[in-house]
Amino acid sequence: MKFGVSLLMAAATMFGVVATASAQQTLQQVRQRGSLNCQVGLPTPGFYALAANGTWSGMDVDVCRAVAAAIFDDPSKVQYQSVTSAVRFTSLANGESDMLSRTTTWTAVRDGQLGLEFAGVNFYDGQGFVVPRASNITSARQLDGATICVLTGTTTELNLADYFRANNMRFTAVTNENVNVLVETYLGGGCDAYTNDKSGLAARRSAFPTPNDHIILPETISKEPLGPVVRHGDNNWGDIVRWVLYGMIEAEEMGVTSANVTQMLQSPNPGIKRLLGVEGNVGQGMGLPADFMVRVLRHIGNYGETYERNVGANTPIGIPRERSLNALWTNGGILYAMPFR
Amino acid sequence: MSDAPLVFAPRPADPPPPSTIGVVGWMRANLFSSVPNAILTFLGIYIFYVVVSAIVNWALVNAVWEAENRRQCLDMVGRSGACWPGVAAWIPNLIYGLYPKDQVWRINTGFLILIAWAVPLWLPRVRSKVAIGLSLVLAYPFLASYFFHGGQQTLVWTALIALGATAFAWTWLTSLAEMRFGLGFGPLVARLFGAADDERARRIGWGALAALYVLTFVIVSQLDFVEVQTRFWGGLFLTLVISGIGIAFSLPAGVVLALGRRSEMPLIRVFCVTFIELFRSVPLITILFMFNTMLPLFLPEGVEVNRLLRAIVAVCLFASAYMAEIVRGGLQAIPKGQYEAAAAMGLGFWQSTSLIILPQALRIMIPSIVGNFIGLFKDTTLVSIIGLFDLLSMSRAVGEDTRWLGLFIEPFFFITLIYFVFCFLMSQYSLNLERRLGEGQRR
Amino acid sequence: MSQSTAIRRPATPPLRLGTLANDATVRSVFYQAVTFVCVVGLIWYLVSNTIANMATRGMSAGFDFLDVSAGFNIAFTLIPYREGDSYLRVFQVGIANTLLVAAIGVVFASILGLVVGLGRLSTNWLIRTLARWYVEILRNTPLLLQIIAWYFGVFNLLPLPRASVDLGGVMYLNNRGAYFPAPVPGEGFGLVLLALVAALIGAVLLHLWARQRFRATGRPFPSVLVGIALVLVAPTLVYLLLGAPLTWDWPVLRGFNFQGGFSVPPAFCALVVALSIYTSCFIAEIVRAGIQSVGHGQTEAARALGVKPSRTMRFIILPQAMRVIIPPLISQYLNLTKNSSLAIAIGFPDLVSVWMNTSLNQSGRAIPIVAMTMGFYCVVSLAVSFVLNSYNRRILLRER
Repeated sequence: MKFGVSLLMAAATMFGVVATASAQQTLQQVRQRGSLNCQVGLPTPGFYALAANGTWSGMDVDVCRAVAAAIFDDPSKVQYQSVTSAVRFTSLANGESDMLSRTTTWTAVRDGQLGLEFAGVNFYDGQGFVVPRASNITSARQLDGATICVLTGTTTELNLADYFRANNMRFTAVTNENVNVLVETYLGGGCDAYTNDKSGLAARRSAFPTPNDHIILPETISKEPLGPVVRHGDNNWGDIVRWVLYGMIEAEEMGVTSANVTQMLQSPNPGIKRLLGVEGNVGQGMGLPADFMVRVLRHIGNYGETYERNVGANTPIGIPRERSLNALWTNGGILYAMPFR
Repeated sequence: MSDAPLVFAPRPADPPPPSTIGVVGWMRANLFSSVPNAILTFLGIYIFYVVVSAIVNWALVNAVWEAENRRQCLDMVGRSGACWPGVAAWIPNLIYGLYPKDQVWRINTGFLILIAWAVPLWLPRVRSKVAIGLSLVLAYPFLASYFFHGGQQTLVWTALIALGATAFAWTWLTSLAEMRFGLGFGPLVARLFGAADDERARRIGWGALAALYVLTFVIVSQLDFVEVQTRFWGGLFLTLVISGIGIAFSLPAGVVLALGRRSEMPLIRVFCVTFIELFRSVPLITILFMFNTMLPLFLPEGVEVNRLLRAIVAVCLFASAYMAEIVRGGLQAIPKGQYEAAAAMGLGFWQSTSLIILPQALRIMIPSIVGNFIGLFKDTTLVSIIGLFDLLSMSRAVGEDTRWLGLFIEPFFFITLIYFVFCFLMSQYSLNLERRLGEGQRR
Repeated sequence: MSQSTAIRRPATPPLRLGTLANDATVRSVFYQAVTFVCVVGLIWYLVSNTIANMATRGMSAGFDFLDVSAGFNIAFTLIPYREGDSYLRVFQVGIANTLLVAAIGVVFASILGLVVGLGRLSTNWLIRTLARWYVEILRNTPLLLQIIAWYFGVFNLLPLPRASVDLGGVMYLNNRGAYFPAPVPGEGFGLVLLALVAALIGAVLLHLWARQRFRATGRPFPSVLVGIALVLVAPTLVYLLLGAPLTWDWPVLRGFNFQGGFSVPPAFCALVVALSIYTSCFIAEIVRAGIQSVGHGQTEAARALGVKPSRTMRFIILPQAMRVIIPPLISQYLNLTKNSSLAIAIGFPDLVSVWMNTSLNQSGRAIPIVAMTMGFYCVVSLAVSFVLNSYNRRILLRER
């Protein structure tokens, strides 16, 4: 009985608590620990892939590695935490992870209500559908009444519902949190279409028994700006992650790569000088050394390099970058770093 | 009335009708004794055929055994046959998780030590089985954790590891001595030194143990294993670690809870009942979930609890609640006369419990304990949901490997077989144990 | 103290610590006090930490999110739900789905368990062996894997909607689910239901009367048959008198799939089948042990008295076996309910899947969501064990 009473009291006290305050300096904790706790998702090719020897690689993993390189000058000082999408924000909020970098869509509710802060966008994605060619469907508008396989616990699930509501159509969802289960269900005919972010659709389709029997519909039904996330409240930590990411994009724009970063230190271009910490001191305000971007570029490379290495046209994922949203703004895309000054 | 005695010479019995002996007879008696029985038989054969032929076709006949990647498998047989090369490439990971390949021998050695330690428990003529069993449960974890985790040794840590190593050495020395001479290790050494009286013999025995400890301490302090953090643990290895710790912890905790539940002190009883009922009434998945996401909140800021530890704490508490009910069942099966006799002999609560009641109760409980262990072993599949790379998550990772993208059913089939083999062996052992233990009780 | 001179009370020993430590009451109070302080202290410590941590990390524990619109689709809902409904509705949908799976699973598991349990005692060698291997194989593989195996091995392999398995033109089966006609009650259908309830009550009363008469006079009355007839005939009569106020909503193949009617998704079928089969293994063993626990002499005695085998089973073996069967059966039913939480593996929207997974992820309120989930399972478990325990107490052997 006493136990129950005290539980009730505890519960009553807890419900009153809705407060926001500054957390202990994350950077300090990371330095003390000697490694960065970076949360990724369950293994997914291209973004956070797990090799048989236990190493992680991918677009999002490179963001973790870049932050670790900026802090420690050693990109291997990362502890990867691979958790299901259901607990991703809780694991960040309860202090277990220092940041998460796992194809997470930036939304107002997440940013505003869940105690999260989005540090930028490292991949612009959008949701699409795969359908069997034999079904003669050529547009998402023809999917009224269809059964659709969708990954649960994601914005994809919400967008799907929105799209059908907006177009006054009905659908039945088959949900799961394991992409392979969904793909297997779709291939077995358990659903009429499979929906996910388009970045993943092409790669998945290439692993179908007969890829040419399936087509990706032209519609993109949602905006999916994916990027790294940190806890709300520690603004300095958010700045570090944000400017490491922007630095990588800026470096590509200025033509600084992992190969030429040492020569570039002598560059007369004031922009490059500021980026590499030769002039000015962007890093100091964030508690990082002035040359933090040199470390990042030397170990990881600029944005274009990680893109081509992980998801570019020459990888099995094969997402061409030309004329896509992820091209630099100077090349017709919308990738745009805030001025590094 | 004739004088001659009547002799009844029985006519030799007719041979059994041919239809009741041999294969035909056996079939008639066992398979086709009546029309419904015959229908059942044919139905049984049909179901058996359909299931087995489908599995054999997929897993063996149509399967691909050699390929570079999944694309090749698909080009060869499509989805009608299994693609085993992907599973084969990942087998080391399915068993050891992400453990560094050059350190895997440490896991193997650790488990070999466990087996070697347990062997004397089955050897005849070894008398110190209780002591050996206790040393196994109490000292093995130190040794194992060093083998599995490694890293820097501090003085206390070295002392504890040496304790484990000493206990292991003592186990085997004692069992060898007992098998060969019928004497424990200590008394044997004492006899070799020609001890005059019991007091000296005991002293020599302890001295020998101390010498053994110093020796192992020196050896252990020379060992230098690279640290392998728990986040690299996975696969079958992790599954065994979690369920092993769970069962080892839950047994004493279950005994305490069960005694508490039967206690005459109302407050203690209420606490125990609340704990047991609370943990038994919710699914393990919710407990794991709560511990995983909430434990960091329960602890003061800056204290970081490793993910594996959180899962283990959850599994231990869950298993303890179940074990408590098993122990309670065992305690209830002890006739009241035993309690009364113990009380009449003037034994207090702890004496009567530890000397009279528990030894009898534990013996009755062994089959249920093994059953509980099987359950726990199967339930560890759930830790995959909170992001530990156990057997199930590892099998999922195969299908996300770029080379084997989408390979999902095959690794799954493979780990199902692993689970089945382990659980089946354990359940057969438990049945065997039940039969042997029952023999003494049967009248 | 009226007779103070007659009885001399034993001299109170001088109060010493040693004496106190050996006093049973003092010791008991001391232990309890220590435990109480420890437990309460631990709880206080955990709660204060939680409050502090939540404050610093800006987490919220309130229930205010419950009336926020959830916005996601749920594949199968027993009670009406639309995308715009609130999280509270999602919680209710999850509970309804979990209870539905548990209820159907319990029924099938009991039937299957009884059949397999009797099969294990069969005289047919093949049946006995098959039953044994059925139990051994299915009991020794994790349920999570079995659920996935049923989903992919069977229900995902069913034909596509256009080639549905047609079961008598009433029910259709394809890899999108099973489709049944749904009843649409018309005007006055409530009266039919009323008749049904009345007939049910009548049947129960009849059965009680028949049992009483049987006990008193020994004359049997076929109360079960008459009862069934009553339950069938009375509502049908009312139904026909009212002019058949019930229409059916038939599933029709339109567009991608069948529309209308009532349908359950393949994940539901896989879950129910896997749960029932897995649990039936344990129930089979319980039934077998229960029947074997009744001495063989009982069967022989009944035969000697000329009792028919079916009646031997019903009146002599089963009532005695039930005493052994009921307690472990209760815990198996509860296990089945708890195991239904594994639905998450194949995406059936049960409470854990739709509430502790999807809703938690979309709303981010870990503490209230986990607490509500655990609370639901606690309530169900305690309620079921309370009801079944009282039944168990009723059939318990009266020992003198």
